[in-house]
Amino acid sequence: MGGVNVDSGGKGGRRSLDSEINMIPMIDFLMVTIAFLLITAVWSHMARMNADAQVPGPPRPTEDIQNIPPEKQLHIEMRSTEKFVLIWKQSGTVISTIDVPRKDVISMEGATRVVRFPDLAAKVSSEWTTVGAHRDASDKKFDQAILHTDNETPYGAIIGVIDAVYQIHRPLQLGAKVDSVPAFNMTFSVN
Amino acid sequence: MTIHTPGRRLMHDVPLKFVQKRVSGGGGRSVNAGLSLTSMIDFLVVTVVFLLMTFSASGETPVSKGVNLPKAENTLDMIDAPIVAVSGSQVMVDGAPGGNTRAIEDAKRMQRIDDLFNILKSKRELWKTTHPGKEFPAVVVLQVDQDVQAIVVKSVFQTAAFAGYPNVSFMVNSIPKSVHAP
Repeated sequence: MGGVNVDSGGKGGRRSLDSEINMIPMIDFLMVTIAFLLITAVWSHMARMNADAQVPGPPRPTEDIQNIPPEKQLHIEMRSTEKFVLIWKQSGTVISTIDVPRKDVISMEGATRVVRFPDLAAKVSSEWTTVGAHRDASDKKFDQAILHTDNETPYGAIIGVIDAVYQIHRPLQLGAKVDSVPAFNMTFSVN
Repeated sequence: MTIHTPGRRLMHDVPLKFVQKRVSGGGGRSVNAGLSLTSMIDFLVVTVVFLLMTFSASGETPVSKGVNLPKAENTLDMIDAPIVAVSGSQVMVDGAPGGNTRAIEDAKRMQRIDDLFNILKSKRELWKTTHPGKEFPAVVVLQVDQDVQAIVVKSVFQTAAFAGYPNVSFMVNSIPKSVHAP
């Protein structure tokens, strides 16, 4: 078989900088590497979506609770097949309520049914643009969205709503770098 | 130079047709084909580079049998955390049985799943023992079939939170982002 050349004419007895590579072991090595990588390749793309639970946290005696200003929170009520209800609340007080007609956009991705809510995403985006408190890139805090569902809603639809809320992105400055991150932290309410 | 008619030749009766074909360029194509070594090595190297870039050292996250995960666009990379799978009415924690949800489905109200609670609590204590002085991440990954009702998800979610895992991640299949994002 062939070889990579290689002018082997070293001068004055010194070893040449060029050297020959034997093609057969090299091709064997490449083939074995490809075979290994193909066998161990992960073709499914598993990922995750964050949501935290509304439960009391551990005691923090060092924090002064009185001095923490109450934050506005967006409550997303998903209890009807007709509409979503978006409620902005601040320390238990309702600031505003908006009804969004529920339009499930269902598509098939392979054998899986994917539910999307583009109208909800658009409305939450416009609400965040006007009411959201943490829009500046230098702000390290995030606005909070809390999802409430009824007991019969299928899990796929819950993921559709969380996905719609996570579509809204904001810039976040980390040092000299500016990243695009989801605008909301999501909480899944069990009530 | 004058041209003469050929005279008698030795082995005149032997046809030697294969020689005629080869000389005249006729007949079928040769079975042997040449392969450019440079192109082949280029191809192999590009394939190796592509596979190395897409290689995941952490391996595949196991998905329980019978779980049809939902798909989503805006996702995060997987993390190393206990996986609670809900398939039908069976609950599994890292592949081991962790109770069932039949009572919740029948009663149609939220309940704590005791087996799941005990397993998660012992996992939490084990983590704290093996990682002294470190802050517990309190993350659990829920692997739930897309047709499971919210009441079951809420029960599992609440059980995990009470067992010390308030940060829950929902496992999904990642799909490319569509163009109509706001």
